[in-house]
Amino acid sequence: MKFGLFYELSVPRPWTRESERTVYDNALEQVKLADELGFDQVWAVEHHFLEEYSHCPAPELFLTACAMVTKKIRVGFGIVVCVPEFNHPIKIAERTAVLDILSGGRVDVGTGRSATWTELAGFNAKPDITKKSWDEFVRCLPRMWTSEKFEFEGEFWSMPRRTILPKVYQRPHPPMWVAVTSPGTELDAADRGLGSLGLTFGQFAEQEKRIAEYRRRIQLCEPVGEFVNDQVSTVNFLYCHEDDAAALKTGRQMANHFNYLAAQLMSVRETYPSKSYPSLGLLPQLRRQATGPEASEQAGEGLCLGGPERVTRALKRWEACGVDRVNFLINTAESIPQADVLASLRLFGKEVMPAFNGSKA
Amino acid sequence: MPLFGELELATIARDLPKMRDLDTEAWELPKAEILQLACEIADGSRALLPRALHPAIPEYVTFVVSRYPESPVGSFDLAQVRLMARAGVHPRGYVLGAVASTAGAAAELSELWGYPAVPGEIALRQYHDRVAASVRREGQTILELALVDPEIVSGGDLQYIHGVTLARVDGAVQLIQVDPHYTLHKAVRGRAHVSRFEPAAWNAATIRLTTPISASASTSDTDLPRIRFVMDPETPVVRGTRKVR
Repeated sequence: MKFGLFYELSVPRPWTRESERTVYDNALEQVKLADELGFDQVWAVEHHFLEEYSHCPAPELFLTACAMVTKKIRVGFGIVVCVPEFNHPIKIAERTAVLDILSGGRVDVGTGRSATWTELAGFNAKPDITKKSWDEFVRCLPRMWTSEKFEFEGEFWSMPRRTILPKVYQRPHPPMWVAVTSPGTELDAADRGLGSLGLTFGQFAEQEKRIAEYRRRIQLCEPVGEFVNDQVSTVNFLYCHEDDAAALKTGRQMANHFNYLAAQLMSVRETYPSKSYPSLGLLPQLRRQATGPEASEQAGEGLCLGGPERVTRALKRWEACGVDRVNFLINTAESIPQADVLASLRLFGKEVMPAFNGSKA
Repeated sequence: MPLFGELELATIARDLPKMRDLDTEAWELPKAEILQLACEIADGSRALLPRALHPAIPEYVTFVVSRYPESPVGSFDLAQVRLMARAGVHPRGYVLGAVASTAGAAAELSELWGYPAVPGEIALRQYHDRVAASVRREGQTILELALVDPEIVSGGDLQYIHGVTLARVDGAVQLIQVDPHYTLHKAVRGRAHVSRFEPAAWNAATIRLTTPISASASTSDTDLPRIRFVMDPETPVVRGTRKVR
């Protein structure tokens, strides 16, 4: 099992000139430490207009900064929005390639389509067709990275024959993923040979079932890229402290804070009836799963909050469910002081990571 | 922390509905027709929102026009303007204003669930290319809107968000959660078009519509349920919610 960090870059009110800078600076310091501790990946979201919850509209810039202060940790788009009003596919291909070069081949590309009316309407995008545009984008990207010349005529975008530059550093190209929140999206990932970048918390039994189906389905896939990425990643909270009770309390506060901020946003489903968004989407699911009644254990089922033993136990359960990677949210809205976040990471690196194969002791 | 409402309760406390108590019996409302439009609004609605609630991001309102052919007070129509908000982590529609098609219904809705309901004339009509509604009071049209170009959707695609009213009950001003159940039989969605909206007539003087979001219409069996939760309007709901039953 491998471990990563997952950044929304939430900025609490009241906002000052320095508050966003502090959040970014703290995140970079955390990523640098995570690299030293042997964490495998750092992911950054692409969100727009999501007040307090996420001030991270340009993940490629943050990830470039991460790459520049680290040596080994991989840098992942978690995700890039594959909707034409947000990002032109040529620009996605170019930006990911530049970062892949600058990072020495450390890029992972998560793809998705946004689940909030706040964002989609902000770009005047139509919720009904985001899945189709995402599909078109993910089929083009590998060819744009690998073909000397590329031309395309599709439903959502077209281009004449051109050389898209630069080319990615990794060969044949970076691993590709799909953000999976709604049940069934993991099958979209499997059918295309893409990794499942899970963005929901908790619920071992439900996740185990979905992972098993993903594993079965990906055996039959028609990969959109040059290779199949059959990895399953999930997201979790992490706050680790020698004092189990104190860690639980602090961690729960972080999870509650996250939950609270996520709840303020407007999901597509809340206001726009569409078959394209059949479930509540990430944010309301997080709202329920992070701290709701479904969180059956004291720390919530499977949440990595507590002393090293409790956290190890939760991760072992995830490993048994078939999860390959766990990406951690390690703070929300700066609710945990930076020194404590760094201490939590160090303790995790020292006491928890050695219990998992392939992790640095 | 997210932003909170900034309503000065004293400015409206005098005019709030007075409920009999919190022992309201449920009303079954079969074969209801519901037209709902959502529209984004300009900043400035926080002055209308109780301090216990958070504004949605972005701020928006819903217009809900319902026809209830059967109820304990007979057939009636109800139109509401709701400022959409969050009660803690839960989406809620705070009822700014309401018009009922009969004086009896208006009085009962006010006394039993705290709706700021006044009598008026409501028209709800279905055409091949639209579902339209209008509301008149004292000779003036105060709301005229339509769902345009209906297309059939699954009932499961619709989400009706629970309402919250503000009323005086048991000697105090309280937020009352109204959380109906819906069994949907038919649903359409379409474009939202508001051709007339007089905010002052809905206790919504500072509301200015900006971007239409969507419209839906449905036929369902629904209810007005017993009251389960009330909230202190001045305290964040995490601390200020009381379970009634």
